[in-house]
Amino acid sequence: MTAWSYYIATLTVYFGVNVLSALSLNLQFGFAGVVNFGYILFQAVGAYIAAVVVLGPSSAFQQYVFGARLPFGVALLLATLAGAVLSLLIGLFSLRNIRRDYQAAILLIISLMATQVVQGYVPLFNGSNGVTGVPRPLSSVPLSLQGYQWAYAGWVLLVAALAYALVTWLSRSPWGRALRALRDQEDAAAAIGLNVTALRLQVFVIGGALAGLSGGLLVEYIGAWSPDAWGYAETFVIFTALFVGGIGNYRGAVLGVLLVPIIFLELPRFLPQVGYPGLMDSMEWIAIGAIWMLCLYIRPQGIVPERRNRAARTAAADARPARESVEVA
Amino acid sequence: MGSTLVSAIGFGVVLASIIAIAAMGFTIQFGLTNVLNLSFGAVMTFAAFAAYLANRHGVGGWSGLGVGGAAGAALTLALGRGVFRPYARRGAHLFEMMMVTLGLSLIVNYAIQALSHNNIYQFVVLPSTPLHLGSILITHTQLIIVFIAIGVLIALISLLQLTKVGKALRAMAADPDLARACGIRTGRIVVLTWLLSGFLCGLAGVVYIINAQSVGYTTGQLFLPLVVAAAILGGAGSPLGAVAASLMMGIVTEIVAAFGSEAYSTVAGFGILVVVLLSRPGAVRGGETGHTQLTL
Amino acid sequence: MSLLAAHDVVVAYGGVRAVNGVSLELAAGESLGLIGPNGAGKSSFLAALGGQVRLTAGSIALDGEEVGGMPPYKRARRGITRTFQMTSEFAKMTAFENLVTAGHGAEGASLRNVVVRRRRTRAAERAVAARAWSVLDRFEMAHVADLYGAELSGGQRRLVEIMRCLMREPKVLLLDEPMVGVAPHLVDKLLADLRSIRDDGIALVIVEHALEVVQELCERVVVMALGRPIAAGTFDEVVSEPEVQAAYVG
Repeated sequence: MTAWSYYIATLTVYFGVNVLSALSLNLQFGFAGVVNFGYILFQAVGAYIAAVVVLGPSSAFQQYVFGARLPFGVALLLATLAGAVLSLLIGLFSLRNIRRDYQAAILLIISLMATQVVQGYVPLFNGSNGVTGVPRPLSSVPLSLQGYQWAYAGWVLLVAALAYALVTWLSRSPWGRALRALRDQEDAAAAIGLNVTALRLQVFVIGGALAGLSGGLLVEYIGAWSPDAWGYAETFVIFTALFVGGIGNYRGAVLGVLLVPIIFLELPRFLPQVGYPGLMDSMEWIAIGAIWMLCLYIRPQGIVPERRNRAARTAAADARPARESVEVA
Repeated sequence: MGSTLVSAIGFGVVLASIIAIAAMGFTIQFGLTNVLNLSFGAVMTFAAFAAYLANRHGVGGWSGLGVGGAAGAALTLALGRGVFRPYARRGAHLFEMMMVTLGLSLIVNYAIQALSHNNIYQFVVLPSTPLHLGSILITHTQLIIVFIAIGVLIALISLLQLTKVGKALRAMAADPDLARACGIRTGRIVVLTWLLSGFLCGLAGVVYIINAQSVGYTTGQLFLPLVVAAAILGGAGSPLGAVAASLMMGIVTEIVAAFGSEAYSTVAGFGILVVVLLSRPGAVRGGETGHTQLTL
Repeated sequence: MSLLAAHDVVVAYGGVRAVNGVSLELAAGESLGLIGPNGAGKSSFLAALGGQVRLTAGSIALDGEEVGGMPPYKRARRGITRTFQMTSEFAKMTAFENLVTAGHGAEGASLRNVVVRRRRTRAAERAVAARAWSVLDRFEMAHVADLYGAELSGGQRRLVEIMRCLMREPKVLLLDEPMVGVAPHLVDKLLADLRSIRDDGIALVIVEHALEVVQELCERVVVMALGRPIAAGTFDEVVSEPEVQAAYVG
């Protein structure tokens, strides 16, 4: 029973983290039209930063930059900040008005470059071996191992729910509306006074912050982080989840994350072993590719359709559009 | 220092030759379709494995080139008609097409990984007798590779400039609607483009593993950024441009590898691609070839 | 001082000079028509005024301030708005939302205002909504408020585009062939609407091929051919000039 409990708790943590990733990508793609194929890099930077600020000083065992023993809450904040700062830097030169496919390729390549750099330059984050031994938050609290895992899972779900609320609230705001306008007709949006570049950058940075946060949460659970954990292909899994669930659609994003990384990718675990070890992994990637292409063919909008905002009119002085429980994106 | 530089340049020329063959294939395709076909690397790997398997069944070293070229041509044609065209018909624009090629590359690469049991196989097929050209240490085989690249360039330029088919291809790349209106059999030209670019892609894959002396499922994929950078830098549809850019990329990569490290040469290659993508004038809306319509 | 002053504006694409030295002044509240044969550079000049194309040479000043180097969004914030040849309504938003988005503009949509000044944003939301309803009522479009942009007819889309501009309370409204895509029975309504906007004191610059529209709406007309102005005056004056007739026919 404990093995099952551990498995489900871990799955829940991954679900929460993936929801954060999906929210981030959805914001960036759905709203700013930026296809961040390098997403995993921003999650990785959050994870690394969160790790090195709780691990204490660098040692002979593992080398890394910074190094401190800060409380886990601060580590999470720094992880979020790291994601935001990196997105700002990368966004400043890659968000200009270029062909979308070039832009997507650029972001992908940047994450590939980062992998090479981290693996090659060991003093940065201990190269290919990565960092390990990240202490778990609140380990002084007397909980059984099982209890702790569930508590952490609950914590991650809470953060994910808060992020969801934040993102949907932002989408409904005038800011979110401006983003939908620029996504729709960029020239017209500029012609009504919207600074398209600045808006895109803001979305990108907020997405990056969420990515960094997701990385921090993940590393504080797993306790270790290395280049294996942030291969470029991970980004595609989340994108596939978004396609299945619906681009620009937050409810759909959560559904997609449930269907793809959680259910679909975990299912094979319960199937009988076929072929040589590792064959299943290859098959999973093939399946992801196939779903990807199927979604592109059938419904670029995804499974869950967007809903319309109706404007209700009350007294002229208090005319406020009535918003039902809306999918605003 | 000086001799390291010269020897790096020598290696650079060899690498450039390999890149050039692939880049010429890519640029032909890109010049016509304007699509960033990221499954190009997967096709290279496919052709490389085809040559490897042929070799296991007794096909000699250099004949593997023909096998690989044919495999590349066949797969590219199949993908072009069977995958890209239906998506284009459904209204996919440039960006969606790139996404399609990404999905395709996932499928093909991991299928190859599955079939190859995720192993790397030796491909020591041709002798590596070294030659000394000054301080450049190069093998016989590598020299032949350079000549193959030159041969391909000459053949391609002759095809494009001198033959009727080549002129039709250039016309279509410039303005597909006008070409169609002038009576050019555009459907045929598209097929030819797939076959030609696929052949070159396959050829490059085999040449690559002849040089690297091993083949695995990541063969093409790791190589792709250099190829794309060279093709785009050299100008869509221009074989000569592709070769010139390949020379630059190959030499820079080897120099960085010689004076820095292997990992940094990869980073340099990637970095060049990023700069190219950011700075190409065709990178603003309307794309490299000026037309946003898909010609598939 | 004139409201909008263009001085020796040149717009070149590659080697081609689409606009080859156009100087023009527009007074506040004045309505100007830009006519001429195809390829005369009228739309390019309009784009130069709006900021959609970069000036190769020359200057453009709004209320004395040089705006020639400014991107479109900055010019919009200073009072220059425009419609596009192909209607640019936000297709995936309702007509109402189109107006509200414009009403908020950059100020209301700024992240800082939305996050930090929440009460003010809520109040602004109400105020903008009220204004949007009044604009919709004025142009008798309240019944389409909830239709997506994509669901509107050509004439309705054009009107939404124009109403959106009005939400900005602009000084200048640039219209690029406003009658394109508008069904004949709606042209009269659109004409009346534009007249009412002109009467409100908003300066108009209209590029149009439908000469009756120009005749109806514009106090002053400038004729362009091959990138330069070849005649200026009232509609009747301009139309009877031999060069103008030659440009259209020849």
